[in-house]
Amino acid sequence: MTITQAAATRTVDLVRERVGAGLVAATQPHADTLRLQVDKRSVRAAAGTLADELGARFMITTGIDRRELDGGFGIVHLFSLDREHLFVLLDCAVAADDEHIDSITPVVPGANWAEREFRDSVGVHPEGHPDPRRLLLADDWPDGVWPLRRDVPYNLQPPPAEGMRPPLREPPAGASVVTMGPFFPVLEEPSQWRLFVEGETIVGCDYRGFYNHRGIEKLGEAVLTYNEIPYLAERICGICGFIHSTCYCQAVEKAAGIEVPRRARFIRTIMLEMERVHSHLLWLGIAGHIVGFDTVLMQTWRIREPLMWLSEEISGNRKTYGMNTIGGLRRDIPPDLASKTLNVLAEVERESLAVRDAIVGDGTLMARTKDVGVLTNQTARSVCVVGPPARASGVPIDARVDHPYAAYDEVAVRIAVHQEGDTWARVLVRVEELLESIRLIREALAAMPEGPVLAEIRDEIPPGRVGVSVVEAPRGEAVHMVETGGDNRPYRWRVRAPTYPNLQAMPAMITGAAIADVPITLGSLDPCFSCTERVEAVDVASGCVRVYSRADLLRISRGAGAKP
Amino acid sequence: MLLAKLREAWICLKAGRVTLPYPFAPHDPAEGFRGKITLDPDLCFGCGGCANVCPAGVIVVKDTDQHTRLLEFFWRRCTYCGRCEEVCPEDAITLSQQFETATNAPEDMFMRLEVFMGPCQRCGRCFTPPTPLERMMRTGFRDGNGGRA
Ligand code: SF4
Ligand code: SF4
Repeated sequence: MTITQAAATRTVDLVRERVGAGLVAATQPHADTLRLQVDKRSVRAAAGTLADELGARFMITTGIDRRELDGGFGIVHLFSLDREHLFVLLDCAVAADDEHIDSITPVVPGANWAEREFRDSVGVHPEGHPDPRRLLLADDWPDGVWPLRRDVPYNLQPPPAEGMRPPLREPPAGASVVTMGPFFPVLEEPSQWRLFVEGETIVGCDYRGFYNHRGIEKLGEAVLTYNEIPYLAERICGICGFIHSTCYCQAVEKAAGIEVPRRARFIRTIMLEMERVHSHLLWLGIAGHIVGFDTVLMQTWRIREPLMWLSEEISGNRKTYGMNTIGGLRRDIPPDLASKTLNVLAEVERESLAVRDAIVGDGTLMARTKDVGVLTNQTARSVCVVGPPARASGVPIDARVDHPYAAYDEVAVRIAVHQEGDTWARVLVRVEELLESIRLIREALAAMPEGPVLAEIRDEIPPGRVGVSVVEAPRGEAVHMVETGGDNRPYRWRVRAPTYPNLQAMPAMITGAAIADVPITLGSLDPCFSCTERVEAVDVASGCVRVYSRADLLRISRGAGAKP
Repeated sequence: MLLAKLREAWICLKAGRVTLPYPFAPHDPAEGFRGKITLDPDLCFGCGGCANVCPAGVIVVKDTDQHTRLLEFFWRRCTYCGRCEEVCPEDAITLSQQFETATNAPEDMFMRLEVFMGPCQRCGRCFTPPTPLERMMRTGFRDGNGGRA
């Protein structure tokens, strides 16, 4: 019996012992996925058992509108037993006439946002949630319109509602408020932090985000088909596009039982690691930029550029490679490009080492990041932080090792772990990972077998199957969950990007810090909101929407004092 | 510390000038680059395969009368994924090397093709040839809603 199987048996036994008849059924749709159907009244006890007694890490919750299937909603909490390579789904049915479920946030703090999100999107209320404010919906979105319910059309534009703005948190007595964002100089993406300060010292904060919510999951379920979604998934993130398309494809492949050719799995590994190399170089530059050390920015981005050109040659585009499809890949890596890859990597490695030696010896970056934004091991675990921030706080998790996908079962990853938990440790973890990724690409290129890169799919993808897939993105673990449906598209497609859990650790990281340390602390999470290049302004008084063209924007920004 | 500063200076100096002269000199993308879609009207026979796979809903197919199938490409929404090129049985669509597509007039990014079709004698609808195309087609096309703009 494998470790995974033993863990599955133990989990079922323990949960049954704790919640008794509250455990309705236990099935194992895949070797690495355990699905526990739990009565909704037992969900908190079951989640507590998983998190506290079995050490499971909370990943994400999916709210599913299953009214057309069984007359109710489904709330699926997803946990991971990392050491045992097992995903555990806690699946609770919620009747359509009683849209309430116990919140698990009191026992699993990392579930905070996830629960507010399913309340906002499918309208099932988490009872006993410590902070039940609106999270995801816009300030003028009316109450009672739940966008991820299946009877709500994807292009619904309800009239703007009044008074839906969630209340802002009151600062503690004696503290004043300094607002950072939604737009602020260091990160070119919107998020708002209201910092509560006493003098220069931060004593608390409040976060508002989701300014760029694009309704991607809804589009995937309502408009696109299985093979169109990879191109949308790729656009979830501008830096780790290949990661999301791989993660989505793997989830569908797992759900449908499609065997991906071995060569395709190796090429996916290579492209994923290439994304990590260029993303970490990009991040290093931004970190330098945030602390005012722009030489690092210029040089790391220069080093990164040949990789982007190489990606263009391999895939046809420097970003958004468009290579993934269900069952494998659309493009192969020909031998001449494989050898070119090795040359480019040799150069990137040499230059990265030079930059590493320079910044480590220089001390400027270290002086600005050492002991800044400390994330303790305990917080990292309770908020369920992932990726480099977790590994820099001594939590040795990495999806490539814990839930091997693509070719990571054949090319072994050495993960970088540091204990200090400060921003400098996160710099070091990323630099080490960058070099490790270069080694992995070399190894994968050497071990890559010949053969086809795309499996032929003859049968339709059967409905009602579930697939969970993770990919270790440069920022941490990305999770996609797919429940297959009819009509050639998923019934539910759930995406969780790594910044989702990581941002929730920010309050703990900046409490006690100085205001000047906030940007680099936030930057050290390598956060990825999303960006949009077109401005759409709503005149609050008249409610009319006006889209500014490039010429308008130029006129407004150039003309001194000109009014829009 | 000083040594590290010197190292940094050396890294910068050695790199020299890296900025490309583009746009004052042309900058050709690598072979296999996915640029603007081009359409060979002589090859297209109106199967609609491209419209069925396009993730961005760029391609809209309508039968305007018994003999004519209208293909409209609202390619300002094109994601340059190349799926249309991949499935076209006649290689009528290719993704060119052209990437300088910025324009102030969105209507520039539109193509329209009328294909003469043989109508079926019995039902009067445009004739749909069997196999490989059948595999590509779902029943019925999406409503022409202007490329879902
Ligand atoms: S390249 Fe992709 S997005 Fe553009 S028209 Fe073809 S299928 Fe549609
Ligand atoms: S797939 Fe090719 S032949 Fe068929 S309609 Fe499109 S362009 Fe024409």
